[in-house]
Amino acid sequence: MNSQLEELACFYVLDQLDPRDRAAFEAQLLCEPELAALVHELEGTLARNIRALPRSEPPVNLLARIESRLGDIAATDSLPPARLHSFPWTSFVRWGVAAVITLSLATLAVQSLRRPSVQPLVVLVSLDPQHSTLTELPFPNANKDPDARFVQLASLAEQLWENPAKLPAKSRASERDNRGYALFDPASRQGFIAIEQLPAIASGQRYHLWIVDTSSGLIRDAGILPLSGATRGMYSFALAATAGPTEPGRQNFFITVEEGPALPADQPRGNVVLGARRI
Amino acid sequence: MAQIVTPHSESSAAEVILLSRIGAGDRAAFRELYVLYSAPLFSLAVRLVHDRSAAEELLQDAFVKIWRHAIAYDARKSRPFTWAVTIVRRTCIDYLRMHRTAPTLIPFAAEAASSSALATSEISRRFADANETSHQVQDALAEISPDQRQALELALYSELTHAEIARQLKQPVGTIKTWIRRGLLDLRTTLAKP
Repeated sequence: MNSQLEELACFYVLDQLDPRDRAAFEAQLLCEPELAALVHELEGTLARNIRALPRSEPPVNLLARIESRLGDIAATDSLPPARLHSFPWTSFVRWGVAAVITLSLATLAVQSLRRPSVQPLVVLVSLDPQHSTLTELPFPNANKDPDARFVQLASLAEQLWENPAKLPAKSRASERDNRGYALFDPASRQGFIAIEQLPAIASGQRYHLWIVDTSSGLIRDAGILPLSGATRGMYSFALAATAGPTEPGRQNFFITVEEGPALPADQPRGNVVLGARRI
Repeated sequence: MAQIVTPHSESSAAEVILLSRIGAGDRAAFRELYVLYSAPLFSLAVRLVHDRSAAEELLQDAFVKIWRHAIAYDARKSRPFTWAVTIVRRTCIDYLRMHRTAPTLIPFAAEAASSSALATSEISRRFADANETSHQVQDALAEISPDQRQALELALYSELTHAEIARQLKQPVGTIKTWIRRGLLDLRTTLAKP
């Protein structure tokens, strides 16, 4: 990475870019794994620096004071908007009722022709040094909006992380082995990978996450795991739209140790350290 | 083409969810986030404005902004804590620029003019009550050069622009930018050491 980009990353984290440069940098951030990893590490440095400041506790009643202001905001926000024009309610109601009836009939007709709706599913792959074990989980009340869906997926990942007994596919690894699991939503193409342990890597090496379409055998680059000494953590990832379609129940994951420049890679070259190329 | 695998520590993933709940108007989630963030953010505000009473008002303003803007938070662009820090810093910097009537006090200015050892001892004094994390940060700060440390401190804990820092330290703006960049990158490297 060149020093100009490093400088932009530093000033982005320190909030010292002007709005135009900030927007341009954010666009770059969303599609460059190495840059995002650097920003994430710099954010960690900034957070530790701030948390190391001499500690000052706010007064105990400050939260109550803030909440009273939030109450005012809610009251203000709930006021109806000013009415600028009169509205022909009578004709609206008449035409509105007709529209609702037409729409209902059309919906019934369409539903009678459609196949039964498919319940949304997420893919859970349990990973150990030699195996990947795939399970499909229902994704109840899955939101259609990708951002909302990301939060739902994060919530599910967090529940499994905090309570591994809920994992339907048990890892065959022992306590001392490398192990983890991946949770992937084929509809939004987003996922989380939880790592319990990975082998130590040398300087210049990196962990690389790969996603495999088990029906076609196609392997896609899912990104670099920006681990630097830590062996336990949860990471989110997303497949770019250009990576082709994904279908439920066909994804497998594995992690390799790669060397050389950290460019987007087309194929894994290093040793597999977690999961397996085949289910 | 791949995208980044974004790390979410246990706490960070939980905080993403908290912000999402706050965005949906969940007051209990707001209280949880307040418990997690209020002390470090208040410490930051006190450090920025050097006035506890003003810092209280500014922290209130900042948490109201967090409540209002949580719905717009994007986990792909920053960690939740960094996002909240940005809100607090902007709130404090606006206040400082509105109330700027006298030459700004520059933390650690004396240290830069003196020896590295003196600078380190001053930092040690300021962090006397610190916990393990702050001791690690203290050691890491002592390892970076005094110029870099001073430029980074000013960038982090003052309302000064790069041009103003350059005037204050009598250096070209380009040099100041380099010191800030190198300071932060070196601090990251030092803190990453086992």
